[in-house]
Amino acid sequence: MTGRVIEWAAFGLALATTLTAGALAAETHKEYRFNVGPKAGISVNNPYGSISVRPSTGNFIVVNAVLSSDKVEVDHNVTANRVEVVSHLLPGADAQSGKIEYEILVPPDASVTLHSSTGTLHVEKLRGDVTLEGASATVDVRDIADAHVHVKTLNGPVTLTNVQQGHVEVDSLSGNVTLNEVTGPLVQVISTSGGISYIGDFGDSGEYRLTSHSGDIEALVPDSTSADVSARSVRGEVHDDIHLQPKQHVPYVIEKGSAFWGTMGHAAVSSTVVLRSFSGKIHLRKRSAK
Amino acid sequence: MTCVELQESLAENETGSSAAQRAHLGGCPQCAALVAELLVIACSAGELRAAHEPSPRVWNSIEIALRKEGLVRPQHRSSAFFPALNAAGAWRWLLPLAAALLVSAGILVRQHLPAHQIANNAYVGSGSSDGLESDAAVAGLNDDDLIQEIAHQSPALQAQYTENLRRVNQYILDAKSSIAADPNDSEAHRSLMEAYEQKAMLFDLALDRSLP
Repeated sequence: MTGRVIEWAAFGLALATTLTAGALAAETHKEYRFNVGPKAGISVNNPYGSISVRPSTGNFIVVNAVLSSDKVEVDHNVTANRVEVVSHLLPGADAQSGKIEYEILVPPDASVTLHSSTGTLHVEKLRGDVTLEGASATVDVRDIADAHVHVKTLNGPVTLTNVQQGHVEVDSLSGNVTLNEVTGPLVQVISTSGGISYIGDFGDSGEYRLTSHSGDIEALVPDSTSADVSARSVRGEVHDDIHLQPKQHVPYVIEKGSAFWGTMGHAAVSSTVVLRSFSGKIHLRKRSAK
Repeated sequence: MTCVELQESLAENETGSSAAQRAHLGGCPQCAALVAELLVIACSAGELRAAHEPSPRVWNSIEIALRKEGLVRPQHRSSAFFPALNAAGAWRWLLPLAAALLVSAGILVRQHLPAHQIANNAYVGSGSSDGLESDAAVAGLNDDDLIQEIAHQSPALQAQYTENLRRVNQYILDAKSSIAADPNDSEAHRSLMEAYEQKAMLFDLALDRSLP
């Protein structure tokens, strides 16, 4: 019995190894390297698969691509200081066979434009402009400073983490948007039905506008926050758990439970925060100290 | 079709719906973004409030300037009591006056109309599908065309786009109803702009080359 068990185990292991090797053999790894000047640009259009962008250590761009099959190929074009990479789907390609996973290194000051329908779009530790677009792509942006960040998704979730001094614009029709320690002169999120969650202190100056037609909006802020906050929901509920100094002259009627407008912290050094929803809930909450 | 040719063709077809335009837009994100912005402007242009009618003094000033330039000849005196009235000259003198009177009357009537009636007149069909269809006719947007295009390009995404289109249309309707309730609500106007931007983004993503 023991011998038979061992035989079956060995057979299973051999079979698994063969299948894995076969799958890996169908994959193709390609690497491309481009020398660029300061403030280079890179654009990647990848219908299926993820794109991950990280900083390189010099003035060069490295594109590592893992192709799922021979039904897709990588086209690239270099014009002046700009690199364009396109995943070219060949006849018969589908979401599986047409998938390419990209790992890209770019100079920290490069501007990055990524298009994907389904894959994850990940960008981190850059100082150049970041533009991300995709229908269902999951977007993850972190550790960006002094840059413009533009995100457009249909229903993919969007997460921005530690984006400092940024000019941030996020448009998501139905994807949830999470902003964690995102500050800058302008931070704007517009969604039709996605929820918006902000965790942070709104910086010391800037305009923050979080709007969702039917999604809920939640802002979790520490005691040290200085901000002029207005919130209004036409049909939804509005709650604030933080003491606000009411503003005297406002352009609309403040109905308790549907709107509030006041100042927290020091009015002299504060950001302007606007929270708007048509039918979603709005909640301003205090973040407890760690 | 090059970018310049596409921009010139927008004068004839601003929606970018022709086959040649679509072929170019599918491969040019800059032009696709331009078309999307034009669609937003076209959608929201109808929401702009009508410019105030000029006061009668303006018409009089125009008449004086025209007379100085000799484009309007002074009327011949034919009667001690009605010096400007003769067969042809009377019309030249009376027409500007009649126009000024009509404009003044229009201003007075508008000022006395209730605000909600003005808003309802401005947003005919608000709250019903007819309003969106008239918007679509103005902007050349056609939801059915978009869904058919998605169904042709990516059938797997059709349900997603249909649902999101429904949601954004509801967004537009709700924003319009807020404006109708209070035409002076600037936030409501901004909300309508944002709703149209969301719809334009939906179309942009559908035309985007990232769509498989």
